[in-house]
Amino acid sequence: MALAEIRALTKSFKKGGETVVPLDGVDLDIEKGDFISMMGPSGTGKSTLLNAVAGIDRPDSGTITVGGTEVTKLSRSKLADWRAEHLGYIFQTHNLVPVLTAYENIELPTLLVSMSKAERRERVELALEAVSLTDRADHYPRQLSGGQEQRVGIARAIVMNPTLVVGDEPTGSLDAATSVQIQELLVRLNEELGMTILMVTHDAEVANLATRRLRLEGGKLIELNGRAANTGNGRKAITAG
Amino acid sequence: MFSFAPYVVKGLWRHGMRTFLTAGGAAVALFVFCFVGAVQEGLERLTSGGDADRTLIVFQENRFCPTSSRLPQDYADTIRKVPGVKDVMPVQVWTNNCRASLDIVVFNGASPAQLRKNRGLMLTAGDWSTFESRHDSALIGANLARRRRLAVGDTFSIGDLSTQVAGVFESPVAAEENLAYTSLEFLQYTRGLDAAGLVTMHEAYLDENADPDTVAKAIDETLAAGPVATTTRRKGAFQASTLSDLVDLIGFAHWLGYACVGLVLTLVATTTVMAVQDRVKEHAVLQTIGVRPGRVFRLVVSESLLICLAGGVVGTLVALAVLAWGGLAVGAEGVTIAFQPSVSLGLTGIVIAALTGLLAGIIPAWHASRTNIVLALNQA
Repeated sequence: MALAEIRALTKSFKKGGETVVPLDGVDLDIEKGDFISMMGPSGTGKSTLLNAVAGIDRPDSGTITVGGTEVTKLSRSKLADWRAEHLGYIFQTHNLVPVLTAYENIELPTLLVSMSKAERRERVELALEAVSLTDRADHYPRQLSGGQEQRVGIARAIVMNPTLVVGDEPTGSLDAATSVQIQELLVRLNEELGMTILMVTHDAEVANLATRRLRLEGGKLIELNGRAANTGNGRKAITAG
Repeated sequence: MFSFAPYVVKGLWRHGMRTFLTAGGAAVALFVFCFVGAVQEGLERLTSGGDADRTLIVFQENRFCPTSSRLPQDYADTIRKVPGVKDVMPVQVWTNNCRASLDIVVFNGASPAQLRKNRGLMLTAGDWSTFESRHDSALIGANLARRRRLAVGDTFSIGDLSTQVAGVFESPVAAEENLAYTSLEFLQYTRGLDAAGLVTMHEAYLDENADPDTVAKAIDETLAAGPVATTTRRKGAFQASTLSDLVDLIGFAHWLGYACVGLVLTLVATTTVMAVQDRVKEHAVLQTIGVRPGRVFRLVVSESLLICLAGGVVGTLVALAVLAWGGLAVGAEGVTIAFQPSVSLGLTGIVIAALTGLLAGIIPAWHASRTNIVLALNQA
C-alpha cells in the first residue's frame, strides 16, 4: 500500500460564469520516500491538488488517504490535528509569524501535540540544524534574509517529522542563488532524512530535482521521468478519467 | 493550555500603540463606570441599613434646607417620652452650601456625650477629652479631613464659623465621614445663626422592637400641639427625600455607567476586528500547520480579553485610588453622599471588563476561526 493514495479526485469551481474543472478524476500513489514535483501551466490546479492533499481544501469528490487515514472524511478540527502530526507545509512565501523568533516559529507545530519540553527543544534544535540556522534561532523574521526565512519555514514544516511534506513553489519567491540553496536543502531532506515530498513548481530546474515528475494538464496528471530515472523521454499518464 | 500565550502577548506588543490606546480607552471607561458605581453605592449606603432604618429624623414640617428648619430644643424631652423612643439627640446643622455641591462642608452641633454614645465614631487622631472640654473644637470626618487636608490642631474656618480640629474620626456610616461635629452650643451661638434654644432637627433612636413608622407618626401627633409642626421620617427616607434632585441625577448616571461598558465593547471589538483583518493570512497559516479552528477562536478572544482586562484593571484601580484618597463627596441640603471605594465595586469593575473583553472578541474570533484557509493564504 502506498503512503498516500489519491483516487478519482475531482474539484471544480465557477469562474466568470463558466465551470472550471482543475481536477478531473485524478489518481496518484505516493510512495514513502518519494520526492515528487508537479508542474503545469498557471491555473491548471496544481495548488488545488496540493491543498487537497494537505487537507486545507475540500475536493468535490474522490478520496485522499495518507498513512492509512482518509483525510477527505475528517472534520475541520480532526484535519487540523492530522496536519499537526502528519503534514509539513512549505509556503511559497515563508509565512512566518513576524512577532516570533525563528526558534519560536519552528516550535509552533510542536505546541500542538503533547510532548515534554526537552523533546520539544530537541526537535526544534534538530530542525534548525537540518536547515543550518542554529545561529539564527533568536532572530526575528525581519532580521533574516529571504533565503533564511524560507529555511525557517522549511524547518517549521519538518519539525514534527511529518509523514508527508508538501511545498507550494518553495523557491518561487527567491533569487537564483538562494533558490539553489533551498533546492539543495529539499534534496537533502529527501535523501538524508527520507522525507516524502510533494512539491508544486514552475521551475523546470527545480522540478528536475525530484525523483518523480508530474505534469497536470486538463485536469489530468501525467507522469514524466524524474531524477532517479532520468531517461528523458518517458511520459506516462497515471490519471483515470 | 497556555502554550500560545507568548504568541498572544507578542501579538499585542507588536501593535503597541493600538493596544495601548484601546486599553487606555477601556481604562477611562471603567474609571467612569467605577466612579458612577461609587456614587450609587454611596447613595445606597446612605438610604438603607441599620442607621437609616432605625433612626428617625424630626424636622420642621415642609422645610428641606437645614437653615430653614428651626425646632425648639426642648422638643427632645417630649419626643423622649413617646413609646418606642430610646434616646433623642438635638442637632444643629450648619452648611456652607444648601445647593448641590462637590465640596460641601456640613457641621453638626450636638452634645459630645450623646455623639459618643449614639454615633459609633472611631477617632483615628486626637481625643474625645479635648473635644468635650474645648468649646470651639470640632471632630472632623476622615473624608473631610482628606479633602481639606486637615489634621488635629488645625484651625478650620468657613464664613463666620471657626473651629479647631480636636480629632479625626472614621464612622461605620461612610457619609458621616464628610461631617464635622461641634458641640451644640457652639453652633447655636455662631454669629448669624441666632439659634439659642433652637435646633435644626432631633434624631430619635428607637427601642429594639419599636416600629419606626408607628413611632414617627406618634412623634408628629404629639408635637402637633406645639409651636412648630414637625415631619418625622426614617433617616434613610429623610436623606433620600432631601437629596431627591441628586437621586434623580444619580439614577440617570447609572445609564452613563452602562454607556461606558458599551463604549468599551465597541472599542475593543473594533480593535479586535482590525487585528483579525490584519492577520487573516497569519491565522490561515496557523491553521495550515495544525492549529484547530477552536484554538484560533480562543487566541483571538484571549487578545480582546487581555486588552480589556488590562485597561479595566488599571481604570478600576485608579478609580478606587482616587475614591480612597480624594475624599470626594456630593451633597445638598446638608446631607452628603460619600464616594467610597469598595471591594465589591472593584470586583464588579474587573468582572465587567473581563466579560466585555470576552464579548468583544466573539464575533472577530468566529470570523478568524471560520476563515477559508486557501483564500486567506492567497491574500497578498
